Amino acid sequence: MNAEPNAAYDEFRHEALLYRGLADFVDRTVPFIRGGVEAGESVAVVTSAEHFEALRQALGSHARAVAFADMADVGANPARIIPFWQDFIAAQDGRPLRGIGEPIWAGRSAAELAECQRHECLLNVAIDRATPMWLLCPYDLTGLNPEVIDEARCSHPYVTEGLTRRESGVFRGVEGSRAAMAPLPMPPEGCQRFAFRRGDLAAVREMVAAGAVQAGMSKSRTEDLISAAHEVASNCVRHGGGAGDLRLWRDDGALITEFRDGGRLEDPLIDRVRPAAHAAGRRGLWLANQLCDLVQIRTLPSGTVVRLHMRV
Amino acid sequence: MSLLRGPAAGEQPMAGWMEGEQMYADKQLVIRHTIPTNGLSFAGVIDVNNADAVAAALKTQLGGNGDLHLELSRVEFWDVSGIRALVAAAESANSRRRIVLHGMAPLLRKVMTLVGWAELPGLDICNCGEGPA
Repeated sequence: MNAEPNAAYDEFRHEALLYRGLADFVDRTVPFIRGGVEAGESVAVVTSAEHFEALRQALGSHARAVAFADMADVGANPARIIPFWQDFIAAQDGRPLRGIGEPIWAGRSAAELAECQRHECLLNVAIDRATPMWLLCPYDLTGLNPEVIDEARCSHPYVTEGLTRRESGVFRGVEGSRAAMAPLPMPPEGCQRFAFRRGDLAAVREMVAAGAVQAGMSKSRTEDLISAAHEVASNCVRHGGGAGDLRLWRDDGALITEFRDGGRLEDPLIDRVRPAAHAAGRRGLWLANQLCDLVQIRTLPSGTVVRLHMRV
Repeated sequence: MSLLRGPAAGEQPMAGWMEGEQMYADKQLVIRHTIPTNGLSFAGVIDVNNADAVAAALKTQLGGNGDLHLELSRVEFWDVSGIRALVAAAESANSRRRIVLHGMAPLLRKVMTLVGWAELPGLDICNCGEGPA
């Protein structure tokens, strides 16, 4: 089947676009964007500044109808990308939408890449199937490892490669997307540790503060981390069996603050759905994602692990 | 009765107010009435350990008339469940009464915005907390 950028669609279509370098990126995405603009659809592009500047030039007057955002702002922490798209969808009031979202580039750290891949999976769960939105996720074949491309085929129901657009034969499905989680590397031997219980939250804050100061973190980012860590620790004592295990270590230019408890988080979107003003729901993990550079959450048979990453 | 302690940089208490009787205390927080206005001053930590008690204390003060002013420049730490107590009190107040927040630390304001509680009808954030940059 040939590429048909104006193909009709009336439901959420999550598609990976495999391209080769900047010129090919522009060639492949411009017809998609033009098709949307000419059909009167709302179009948003979230990618690197280099990519959207090239698109702006190539689009000419069509660029004025397109909302551009820098993925380095929107999705440095990839858990903030789903709320961005949810806000975009809500603002269009049912109009058909087209989006380009490129969360994965060659410079992502291993932890960021794992969370970007989780984000791509969770898009299948988060966006209501009845949403008339066509979302194209570009992957650069010249810069990314083959395993990253293989995973893109598993996390997207549709894949476009060259001139061919087809259903992915290896898409893991919506339920599979909900459960897909890369395992986390083990914490290092001999890292700082504190087994805490209810009543120890002040001590948790002090230990995190000391770790941040020792790592040379700025005052305002230290406050952000303390606030996020307190919320996660407070979840441990309220929902995770009354106690938790705190670990702190340095890794690859970041301070990692890890919490383990015996509870289970059943809702994989709990940390990335914007809380409604009057909802009584849990806000702690949402807040952690807004305050920290990266948050990794894994529910294991033995309980839950939450890792907060702050660059130092 | 004692004059309010000097504020930390960037934070400002309600000008000219004094502290009155203590109305609540636990091992991490003291709440006092303020004089002469209808208000309360908070010093310490408001979190999951005392959020319910703080919510109950606030509700007892919402029976009167006029806005309820809260002096927050000496709150050392305030978590989401503590903020929820404040929000619950603001929501339980009748539509003519508001809770007015003074001397909020920048982080508290940021957290309230991030969790979607910065613009509630019963809650007013006084810009007196914004010191010179």
